[in-house]
Amino acid sequence: MRKLFIVLAFIFAFIGIAFSILPLGTLALLPIGLALIFGLIAFLKSDAQQKNVPKWILIVAGVTLIIVIGKEILITDEVAKDEQFEQKKIESKKEDLKDLEGLE
Amino acid sequence: MKKLLLILTVLLTTYSSLSQVNKTVKSGEKFIYAASYNMSGLMTQLAQVTMQTETVKTSKNTLLHLSCQATTYSKWDSFFKIRDIYESYVNPITLRPSLYKRDIFEGKYTKKEKYIFKNDGKTIESTVNKKNMPESKKTFQVGGATQDVVSILYKLRTIDFSTFKPGQIKAFTVVFDQKEMAVGAKYMGKETISAGNLGKKVCYKISIGAKTQALRGTDKNIIWLTADESKVPALIKFSIPVGTGQLTLTNASGL
Repeated sequence: MRKLFIVLAFIFAFIGIAFSILPLGTLALLPIGLALIFGLIAFLKSDAQQKNVPKWILIVAGVTLIIVIGKEILITDEVAKDEQFEQKKIESKKEDLKDLEGLE
Repeated sequence: MKKLLLILTVLLTTYSSLSQVNKTVKSGEKFIYAASYNMSGLMTQLAQVTMQTETVKTSKNTLLHLSCQATTYSKWDSFFKIRDIYESYVNPITLRPSLYKRDIFEGKYTKKEKYIFKNDGKTIESTVNKKNMPESKKTFQVGGATQDVVSILYKLRTIDFSTFKPGQIKAFTVVFDQKEMAVGAKYMGKETISAGNLGKKVCYKISIGAKTQALRGTDKNIIWLTADESKVPALIKFSIPVGTGQLTLTNASGL
């Protein structure tokens, strides 16, 4: 049973790290939360000599949690300046004016 | 009795015509929204949506250009880039459309649509371009009061919801994907919500319903309009076939 919780905690911690690298925002909190829960259960179920692995999973999940929360607070969402898109809009507007003149 | 009925009819017709005159939507408005999408129960911010109005002059007419633009935040661009524009050129007084355009760029999917409203808005000449597909042209008839999906959003702002009772519905006809459909705007009451730089505002809560695959659920597509003269859309919640999401107003200017 302890091994199962360690495996689950490891898998969710891994998914959490992947999500924190990807721009998935708070969605990463879901696997991290599960990794912390399973890691904690595994930690409590372990004997004194066996606590090393769940302890490290808990540390990694905790650090990932801090990174995700930090990214959410400190990094503001911005839209990139897209010259190609702006040019497309200008050309589209010229075309629209031709269509509108044709309507009259 | 007949005279009384005639006077009442004239009065009601006049009131109805006057109520359709736009005094709310102005040129130079700019509303910026943060678009979030529900991923496994958590709202994730994906894109910025900008709604803008500007005056456009042709040789004989002055029109109002309404545009809604969706742009993914830069962190998403390398994974799934969105550059969508929905535009409508409308009469500034009646908000009836003359030209509607939709330019979709979502990842590898592209689609362009153009509707030209002719014959006093009763005939639409549509042109559709999809990636790897031949251009398709179609001319079809619609009712004279038919709006497009952009102008309907602005038309909604001209409705005087202060006279509405909860549950009361205002009906519209909208053309989307070359099909005309009935759309109902149900007034659900008032709620106080956060409206970006405008602060906390008392809003009219309006549920949008339509018999279309594009919208899902009953009272799942809701728009909150500030209960003031500007009727700014402060929050929009939507439920579409691929999930649910919301547009939260971050900045409103030009009011």
